[in-house]
Amino acid sequence: MHILEANKLHKSYGNKLNKQEVLKGIDITVEKGEFVSIMGASGSGKTTLLNVLSSIDKVSSGTIKIEGKEMTAMKEKQLAEFRKHHLGFIFQDYNLLDTLTVKENILLPLSITKVSKRDADEKFNAVAAELGIQEIKDKYPNEISGGQKQRTSAARAFIHGPSIIFADEPTGALDSKSASDLLNKLSELNQNRKATIVMVTHDPVAASFSSRVIFIKDGQIYTQLNKGEQSRQTFFKDIMKTQSVLGGVPNER
Amino acid sequence: MSVNHLIFRNLKKNLKNYYLYVFALIFSVALYFAFVTLQYDPAMNDTKDSIKGAAAIKAASVLLVGIVSIFLLYANNIFIKRRSKEIGLFQLIGMTKSKIFRILTAENFFLYFGSLIIGIFIGFSISRLILMILFKITGMDAVASLNFSSEALIQTVVVFCAIYLFIMLMNYVFIKRQSILSLFRVVSSTEGKVKKMSIFEIIIGIIGVISIISGYYISSKLFGGDFTTMYELFGAMIFILGSVIIGTYLFYKGSVSFIFNLIRKKKDGYLNINQVLSLSSIMFRMKSNALLLTIITTVSALAIGLLSLSYISYYSAEKMAENQVAGDFSLIKTEDADQFKKELAANDIPFNENKIDVIQVDANLKEILGNLNGLMVDPKAMTTPVISDKAVKNIDVAPGETIFTGYNDLLQKFMSLKDSGNIEMKGQNEVIPLKYLGLKKDFVVSGYFTNGGQPIAIVDETVFERLKEDVNPAIQKESSIFIGITLKDEADLEKANDLLIKMNVSDDNYFSSRLEISNMQKKTMGLIMFIVGFLGLTFLITSGCILYFKQMGEGEEEKPNYTILRKLGFTQGDLLKGIHAKQIFNFGIPLVVGLFHSYFAVQSGWFLFGSEVWTPMIIVMVIYTGLYSIFGLLSVIYYKKVINEAL
Repeated sequence: MHILEANKLHKSYGNKLNKQEVLKGIDITVEKGEFVSIMGASGSGKTTLLNVLSSIDKVSSGTIKIEGKEMTAMKEKQLAEFRKHHLGFIFQDYNLLDTLTVKENILLPLSITKVSKRDADEKFNAVAAELGIQEIKDKYPNEISGGQKQRTSAARAFIHGPSIIFADEPTGALDSKSASDLLNKLSELNQNRKATIVMVTHDPVAASFSSRVIFIKDGQIYTQLNKGEQSRQTFFKDIMKTQSVLGGVPNER
Repeated sequence: MSVNHLIFRNLKKNLKNYYLYVFALIFSVALYFAFVTLQYDPAMNDTKDSIKGAAAIKAASVLLVGIVSIFLLYANNIFIKRRSKEIGLFQLIGMTKSKIFRILTAENFFLYFGSLIIGIFIGFSISRLILMILFKITGMDAVASLNFSSEALIQTVVVFCAIYLFIMLMNYVFIKRQSILSLFRVVSSTEGKVKKMSIFEIIIGIIGVISIISGYYISSKLFGGDFTTMYELFGAMIFILGSVIIGTYLFYKGSVSFIFNLIRKKKDGYLNINQVLSLSSIMFRMKSNALLLTIITTVSALAIGLLSLSYISYYSAEKMAENQVAGDFSLIKTEDADQFKKELAANDIPFNENKIDVIQVDANLKEILGNLNGLMVDPKAMTTPVISDKAVKNIDVAPGETIFTGYNDLLQKFMSLKDSGNIEMKGQNEVIPLKYLGLKKDFVVSGYFTNGGQPIAIVDETVFERLKEDVNPAIQKESSIFIGITLKDEADLEKANDLLIKMNVSDDNYFSSRLEISNMQKKTMGLIMFIVGFLGLTFLITSGCILYFKQMGEGEEEKPNYTILRKLGFTQGDLLKGIHAKQIFNFGIPLVVGLFHSYFAVQSGWFLFGSEVWTPMIIVMVIYTGLYSIFGLLSVIYYKKVINEAL
């Protein structure tokens, strides 16, 4: 079943005289339970693609369907409603509210849906246990490390069981240890919860945790790599190879 | 891009942001200029004669400068902190500090002196209106015409230039003290936001609430008889002031976040969007804003209290005059009365006449007097005015009984009378025991006989005759007959009043006119009300602006939060609902606390000022609340814009 289906996405910025086309007709489908990475050099349009797919930004033309519902036709209010129930987000800079504790931050998406307090607590305990952040639940974001912040952010993305989770460079601000910790957790959650994850990254290591990598160049899909049955190491090497062919600056990390 | 261009661009951007600052500045300049113009205006001589109008206005203008300069310095402080990043950036690209200072100075110069010129212009055009308001309130018949006063202009310009120099000095010190690094950090260092609650804070909160309540409690006892000497009274007042102000501070410092924390603990992490935006955000800022909110609350309370009191006395002017005169006019000399009656008749003014014999008798009131609160009188021989029940309609007392009538709340506070008991009337030779039946509110004779507000005793005709035969001449007043004249048609009042004044009665004490007394009262209280009113308005606007600026800053700071929340799928409407709740707290808490403070302040001493309390107090409070809410609304509109731009 296609959980996400995007056809001929075009996105351009600027006015008629000075138009810059960022996405030039991209087609993407994501199956339920997939962990997809989108890679590309700076300026290739990967973040724009993620924003468009996650309804934060609007496309110039083309259609996006999530679970068969066409999002491109929705109004702002419907979109907000849709994001609330069907989408989860993990951002590079965590995007936690400083004024709330870890637990309050995580429970935020549940507060709008009519979930009873007991259910909410149950869900919180489950996801917190999986991500190992139970001890810090009463701390404020400025009292915890970057890795813990990102796991909090991930917990928030998973708690309401969204159809699809978008992650924008989730490891971008983390050291390599915290990064691989987080990615391990993400792929665990991906397998245990059958959660669908779409992640934008420029880090081949991060990408190697996923099951499929889509390479983008100049607003178009350049190629795709499937992990299949191979090990993470070999998949990582494939990604590196493709990336150097792609001509983007190879990432040192 | 040249420096001039930079200044111009900054100016354009700032004007949009700081329109309220510009408005407040223009308003205060205009008001100050108008006040100073009044002070130099020859028309004020009229007021000057009786109650030193110009001096009062001068004092008001000094206070006005005080309020305005604190406001301007504070607002400037907020603004420069907000622009610290920009200043840091200039430094980073190699601009010297003195150059940055010059840019800021030039920018401020246009903003400030532009407003100053507009303000003076507006001030000049409204000064006539203000004078007209003054005349209207004080009931004077002068024609409001104004000349442009160059002295006023010079004074205004000098005062505001001095304030400008102060602002510049502050900016200079601010820029001088900062390094590039600290400039980038300034915002985060001033808001030491996220901290855990401690026991200490809870204790502070509880102490705050207790000291406010104890202040209120003492204030309700202030004139209740527990504090008898002047020193005790003074001490009690100081205590009330201190405990309420300190309590308010501690309340903001601890109680609010303490109470919110309890709510939050109970929620156990499960906050809804309203609570996210209001509860958690207020909790942490409440602490850093405690001092500011205390000041705003205290001065709001002061403004509301003073406005209420002066309005109470203005409002009760007529009532008090009625009590004083007991009729439209009162006279105590038969010949004066005859002449006045003739005049009235000659002018076709119909009237009723009411003559009452009043004698002064020493009475033993020991049994019915509650406490005397340090009043220097002997309860066993109090000189009391006495009249016969024949003189009063609707009241008929038996020979062995008496009713007192005509009391005011002020006297009641110092000399409370019990509901019933036995008293004795002492003549020269005999002592008549009487049964005291109670106290009535009506005033039947003028203040001349009652020493300003003492109740008078009504006794049976026969008892009255006996007392009259037996009076002690030493304590009698010059006259023992009250002649009250009440016009049949209220419309003739002014005309009759003029006639009485024209008669040239030798001594002021010999007659009193309701209209005259009420006008006199209105004149004095009107001027005070006028001054307090405008000062209160200035304070309202400046404090409202400061709260608004604070909210503007907070809104900018919380913009990333709104971005997150909107990405998570909260609609603008959801966020706005939370903001509503937040602003109700932010503006409501100081307002409600201020209203409570002023309520208790007014309740403790209003009877010293007039006879009506509820209507004038509620009118003042409602108007104040209404004007104050405008700033809350403006801030919500601002937040709406921020939320709109957040995604």
